Formats: sequence, structure tokens, C-alpha cells
Amino acid sequence: MSDTETAIPMTDETEQQIDITARLRNASSTDSSHMPMEIEDAVIEARGLGVYYGEFRAVRDVSMRFGKNEITALIGPSGCGKSTVLRCFNRMNDLIPSARVEGTVIYNDTNIYAEDIDPVEVRRRVGMVFQKPNPFPKSIFDNVAWGAKINGFKGSKSDLGDLVESAIRQAALWDEVKDKLNESGYSLSGGQQQRLCIARAIATNPDVVLMDEPASALDPIATLRIEELMQELKKDYSIIIVTHNMQQAARVSDRTAFFSVDVNDAGMRTGRLVEYGLTDRIFTAPENDETEQYITGRFG
Amino acid sequence: MVDQRTHFHAELEGLEQSIHEMGDRAHELIGMAVHALVTGDLDAAGRVREGDHVIDQLYLDVHNRWINLMARQQPMGADLRLMSVLLHMNVTLERTGDQAVNIAKLAALSHGLPMSSRIVEQVQEMGDLVRPMLRTAIESFIRRDADEARLLPAMDEPVDRINKSMYREVVALGADPQMLESATHMMMAARALERIGDQSVDIGEQVVYLVTGEFHDFNEEALHDRGSQG
Repeated sequence: MSDTETAIPMTDETEQQIDITARLRNASSTDSSHMPMEIEDAVIEARGLGVYYGEFRAVRDVSMRFGKNEITALIGPSGCGKSTVLRCFNRMNDLIPSARVEGTVIYNDTNIYAEDIDPVEVRRRVGMVFQKPNPFPKSIFDNVAWGAKINGFKGSKSDLGDLVESAIRQAALWDEVKDKLNESGYSLSGGQQQRLCIARAIATNPDVVLMDEPASALDPIATLRIEELMQELKKDYSIIIVTHNMQQAARVSDRTAFFSVDVNDAGMRTGRLVEYGLTDRIFTAPENDETEQYITGRFG
Repeated sequence: MVDQRTHFHAELEGLEQSIHEMGDRAHELIGMAVHALVTGDLDAAGRVREGDHVIDQLYLDVHNRWINLMARQQPMGADLRLMSVLLHMNVTLERTGDQAVNIAKLAALSHGLPMSSRIVEQVQEMGDLVRPMLRTAIESFIRRDADEARLLPAMDEPVDRINKSMYREVVALGADPQMLESATHMMMAARALERIGDQSVDIGEQVVYLVTGEFHDFNEEALHDRGSQG
């Protein structure tokens, strides 16, 4: 509150302050939120992607590009198909017998759904971290070494040790486990187990890491550690994260895609991409009314 | 569509109502302050100070509720833009109240001094121009009417013009010390009214941001328009 006693005589100071404020506002209004949506350097591109489970169409017509070394968040209400879409990017839906994918997913100029593509190779290049930490019933070391081994790692024992250490360091877990690498992965806390799973995912040297609600089973501190870690990881990897926590999407991602769901007369629910844009924009001034309603809590 | 955040939205609505009330009170104070100055009504000048005290209380109350709501609810989208605009308007309207007090103080200082009727008329005219500006700013906010808000820079032009001409009028009175003293007070009052006009334009910019999601500096746009015409 300004002091009216000192407001006489009036000086130009206030005016100068306002000028500065206006300049700051102008600067912020020309920030990245006005950059075009085109992603020049895409790591993955979905074209006309749809997923069926038997006759049931779970998701329809998703076309979008994912930026290299960016974090992209997929958000939306339950049943909108965001996890289903995520699982298309490393052919995890192949593991569900009734699932059928239409459209294409381009990775490194290749359609990963082409007939001659080995899904195991896809999963090596496009790793995944799940909602619940799922370490193997093995030592901390072996949890991370496993990926390299099944990928035919040919190096020496010490090379493998270096690789494991590097992956665990990248997952910001090294200082906590370096003295107990032979202990079971289960001996770690939930947050540590999840970082172990991240270390395991990046030990195969992927380009992309998919994260499906990676922090929803963790406490707030462990959640923030994962979010901090993501910022480090994006220097080396491209990350696509599904989260039901809008604040988390706002905190961590560069771009956000909002999915919604249509329900037909028979009660079948089909997800679709509603809006995709820079996170700054999506959470302050989305273009689509459906997005606006969702992020302001007016839906359902 | 179901509102899943009814408690938050009720509190947000309550905050906006407080800002409407601040706007109404500030609007009333400007009229009262100009009346006190041009007629020498010192009772009115006293009521301006009391009225500003109420605005200050509202300002503090809005600030406290605002920061709690931000911390607890983490608004997004249109709600976030509204929160941003409410914070800006809270500060702006509190300052508008302060400017009304400045004018009321000048009324007390000028009491009993001879005045130039020409200058008094100009201050009265500025008061008559800026009150509708603040009303337009508040109404455009209430109605979320960006087109109405965009009228404000044009409404501000005569205010700026009179304020600038005031200086020449005052200099012309240089030979008469008593007249010069009152005229100087009037010039300061004109400056306060000019600020109120600018504050109304600022609120208009906020309304456009609230509605469109884009911030536009009206002054820069006006300069650009003049440039392209010339």
C-alpha cells in the first residue's frame, strides 16, 4: 500500500516503475508460449494412431510429434486413452492379445509397426518406467545390468560395472546404493526403487523414456526427486510422461497434450487428442474450451 | 458439465466481488474528491479519507485471501488469468483511492485561496472524464468485454490533453502569488486525475488479457496505430 502522505508532491517515480512493469509484461508476452507448434526435431511421430481392444475402439486418430530432448506430458480424465497411446510408442500393446493398432508411429524415419520390425529392439530404444516400482527379485547391480545383458552386452566385467554405475548415477541413486550394490532391489524405499527402475530403463541406452504415472505411488519428497531427475535426464533422452496430476505436468513438461473421451450410445468410451501445445500456454490460456474446462476443474 | 471445484470457485467469486466493491468505492471517492476541491467542501474531503481507509482494508483482505487461495488451490487456465487480474486490480484500485486522497488533501490546502475559474473548470472536466473511464474499466471486467475495454485509450486522450495544457495556464498566472499557489495545487490535482485515467487504462489491458489470454499494451498499440497512419 503506498503512503498517501508521501504521495505529495507526486514524482515521476511511480510512472517509471509502471513503465518497467509494462516492459516486463511485454517481455513475458513474447515468450516461448507464442512459438509455433511445429516440432522440427521430432523423436517420435504418431500419424492417425488408433487402438482397438477387440471391437472396442479405445483411442482414435492421434497425430502428433514429440520433440527430441523434451519432456512431453499426456494428461486427461480416466479412460481418455493417454496410457494406451503411450504404450503404442514401444509396442507394449502387442502384449495384449486383443489389442490392434492402426496408423503409424515413426521413430528414426521408420514405422515401428512395420512387419519387419522387432518389438524387442523397439523396446530397447524406447524404454519404459511404470506406475509401481517393479524391480526384479535380484541385486541392485543385476537389476541394472540385466538390460545390457539381454541386449547381448559383450564388454568385460569391469565395462559392465562402469555401465551400471553410469546408469545408476544418471538416475541420481548412486550415492545411496554404491555400498550395497549386491543387496536386493527390494531392500530400497519406494522412491529409490523407482529410480532403480529408471536406471534399468536407461542402461540399454535408449533414445526415449516413456513414463506411465511414474510418481503416483510415491510420497511427495520422492515425487519431487523423480521430477528433478527428469530435468536432468532430458539432456540425454526424450521423455513422454502420462500423469493424472496436472500440477506435475505443469511442473515438469515442455509440452502438454490434453486427451478427452467420447462416450457413444452404447456406453463405449473412445479417447481422442483435444489440444497439444507448449505447457506454458496450455495451463494459462489454452485454445480449446474442453481443455479450459478440464484444467479449471469443470468437467465430468 | 459439473464443476469439480465448487469451493474454490465460490472463493474466487467472492474475491472478484470484493474487487467490484473496491471499484465502486474508488469511483465514488474520485467524484467526492473533485467536488471537495472545486467547491472547497472540507467535509467531503474528510469523507474521502474515511472512504480510502475502507478501500485499504479491502485491499489487505483481498491480498490475504488471494495468497491463501493461490497457495492452496493452484489455479490453472482462465482461473489463473482471473487470479492474476484480481491481484493487479487490487493494487491499482488501492492506488486510485490514494489519488482521491491526494486530491482531497489539496482541497484542504487550497481552502480560502483565490482560484482561477478557468483552471477550476479544467479540473472539474478532468474529473468528469476519468470517472466514466474507471466505470468503463470495471464494467468491462464484470462483463468480460474486451471490446469495451479497448475503448479506454481513446477516453484517456482528452484527459492527457487537459493535463498538459494545465501547465501553460498555471505559468500564465505567475504575477499573482496567491493565485499561483492555488493553481499549483490544481495542477497537482490534475496530475492525480491523469494517473487515475492511466490506471483505468491499465485495468482495461488486464480485461483484454483475461478474455483473450494475450497481453496488449494499449499505449504501444496506440503509438503503432499513429505510426501506421502517419
